[in-house]
Amino acid sequence: MADIEVKKRSERYRGRITQIPIYIGKCFRMFVYQSDWKVIPLASFIAMIVAVVVRKSFYVTMEGTTKGALALMSVALWNGFFNSIQVVCRERSIIKREHRSGMHISSYIFAHMVYQLFICVIQTVTTLLVFMYMDVKFPSDGVVSDYFLLDMFVTLLLVTYSADMLSLFLSSIVKSTTAAMTIMPLVLMVQLIFSGCMFSLPKGIKPLSNFMISNHATACICAEANYNSLPSSSGWNMLKKMSQRDDADPKIKSMVAEMELTGQDEIIKIETAKSNFDKDYESTYINVKYHWRFMFAMSFIFAGLSVVALEFIDKDKR
Amino acid sequence: MIASFFSTFSAGWFITNVMLIIGLWKIFKKCKKPGWWAFIPAFREYQLAKCANRENEGRMYLLIVALTYVLGFVTKIIGGMDTKFVDDHIFGMTLLLGVLMTIYIANLVYSIRIFSGVFLLFGVSKRWMWLVILLGSFFPSFLLGVKKKYQPLFIYIDPLDNEGAALSGLKAEAMESGLTVNIEERTAMDFFKKRYLLRDIHLNIEPGHMVLLLGGSGAGKTTFVNAVNGYEKAKAEIILNGSSIYDDYGKMKYKIGFVPQIDLMRGNDSVLRTLLDSAKLRLPADMHASQRRERAEEALKFFGLEPVKDRLCDKLSGGQRKRLSIAMEYIANPDLFILDEPDSGLDGVMARELMEGLRKIADRGKIVIVITHSPDRVIDLFDDVIVLAKDSKLTGRLTYFGPIDEAKKFFERDKMEKIVLRINREEEGGEGLADVFIEKYAEVCHG
Repeated sequence: MADIEVKKRSERYRGRITQIPIYIGKCFRMFVYQSDWKVIPLASFIAMIVAVVVRKSFYVTMEGTTKGALALMSVALWNGFFNSIQVVCRERSIIKREHRSGMHISSYIFAHMVYQLFICVIQTVTTLLVFMYMDVKFPSDGVVSDYFLLDMFVTLLLVTYSADMLSLFLSSIVKSTTAAMTIMPLVLMVQLIFSGCMFSLPKGIKPLSNFMISNHATACICAEANYNSLPSSSGWNMLKKMSQRDDADPKIKSMVAEMELTGQDEIIKIETAKSNFDKDYESTYINVKYHWRFMFAMSFIFAGLSVVALEFIDKDKR
Repeated sequence: MIASFFSTFSAGWFITNVMLIIGLWKIFKKCKKPGWWAFIPAFREYQLAKCANRENEGRMYLLIVALTYVLGFVTKIIGGMDTKFVDDHIFGMTLLLGVLMTIYIANLVYSIRIFSGVFLLFGVSKRWMWLVILLGSFFPSFLLGVKKKYQPLFIYIDPLDNEGAALSGLKAEAMESGLTVNIEERTAMDFFKKRYLLRDIHLNIEPGHMVLLLGGSGAGKTTFVNAVNGYEKAKAEIILNGSSIYDDYGKMKYKIGFVPQIDLMRGNDSVLRTLLDSAKLRLPADMHASQRRERAEEALKFFGLEPVKDRLCDKLSGGQRKRLSIAMEYIANPDLFILDEPDSGLDGVMARELMEGLRKIADRGKIVIVITHSPDRVIDLFDDVIVLAKDSKLTGRLTYFGPIDEAKKFFERDKMEKIVLRINREEEGGEGLADVFIEKYAEVCHG
């Protein structure tokens, strides 16, 4: 080799932190120009449908609350999934080019985390406003704070945001929007199955539900709704149905009528509720915080995994 | 449990396996391969796929067969256990069943793929596939191997077994300014085998030169470009204006502008915004915003994008997008510009305009390397040409580097496209003279 001394350059280029604003700016431009804003009206539309269905029994009985929690969790999960499922895979080639030009993947993902938080906050507020407008009855006291709505806001935000980060991760590992949209219903289905309030899971599978956002989300919503102190109507409703049959035993008919007259049906509802007691839904500060912490941690884990997955983007074939 | 495991080795199993071994032994002999491969399960299918020039399918099949054996063994063991164990591990069992089903389907699919190649090899009807589907692979293998009337129509020789062109023993002397490329080798592991993607490429490009990178498909143009700009490191020394790209890649990458074939930009950003963001990413952090804007304005002017600076990228024409894509790199004022087919999708007039723009960049003392598949319409704009070709070992080799006119004399052809035909492999419609010209070029360099 000739006697040329190899020079060292001294220029400093933008690092991880200073690159973040560039990508936050890009994200918000996407919100305005690429129809990303449509996720907001979509969220309110879904919330409206759910509110119509659950408003009569939500926070009134155990059964209604479980169904409501499932519906509310599904809304938040759906919103979160839809926010991010395509954001990375649709511009994968652009990311590859920019990574080659000095873009830090961590800056890119962090910018998305900030932007998605903004979207999730708006969606959560919208959902709660729609529920209030639709006259869904909420308890007045919160478990963690003094205000139920504040607790519910934090819960729904964490559910939406952790689902959002999960879909950001999925979007980072798949190579096309088609693959992303194929995988999304599958993940959503798994989340719903493992939510803990749709099916009673076999012993061997149950531990898996501890790692599901949906499971922590429903537990959190039920805990905030004071689930264990609500009456359970399932036993009484069954008895009442039996008595309303034409061929029902007259003794049962008269017993049910008498119980209704004397107000003993409430005792039945409370006693049934006692047998439906669920430790996971305990309305305690510790319990709610535990679920919050899980969802908060999951958000960061999925964001971290997205960074790791995208660091391999250079290996993509042409 | 042990008894149930050994029950697998029934008389039927024995007969079909013996038929398979005999059939494959004979097929391998016909294809001039060692017959003993027929005794090694999984690897024999891989060898069969290689005979039929279906190596990729063979690799996959090898893995699938290996997995089938492992999972089959596990299933046998589980089958011998009591039902309580299965009930207690229902999730794992369901998962295992799912995996087994997938593996068996993949096994069938890949054997169909391999045997479609085998049937082509022996020139028999595709209807033979029904034998594979209904009876398994042993029967067609036995027939094709034992019957003398079935002879292979071709003998597949792995290019990796070829010698390839001789190494030049050259080395480029590093220059104070300009680009020095000394690529010893760029390799990749290909199914436990070391494969040379590029080898023995040595050249010096002076500043202000616009260089055409020429070569047929798979000659290693993109691999070369990626090795030069440090994106995929090779066993090489690449010096740009006295600085080693590999040793100081973190900084040097900002001195290299790479423009990909596809215009990769966000459609919802305006042209000016795209350039300003590019400037933020590619220019030193301490550069003032006003200076960055100045650079962006200059780039807009240079590439004729001023009238559309506020337009969204999605609304630009093909030519405008291409120019913007180049401007995104130009804004950082790189010393080395590499463009991968910048004229693809452009008509002759637009392509010429674009190349003239690149010539202007080169005239400013930059090195511009361009890959294009339509070089002859703009050949007068280039100073030099790098010709890459696959040698008989399928390694990307330097066939020529130097001025355009001398290249025409060297290859005895008047057009660049004809030069490519001269070095392309015969099965690609070329003359298959790559090895000859690689060695001739080395001789010329040695004087």
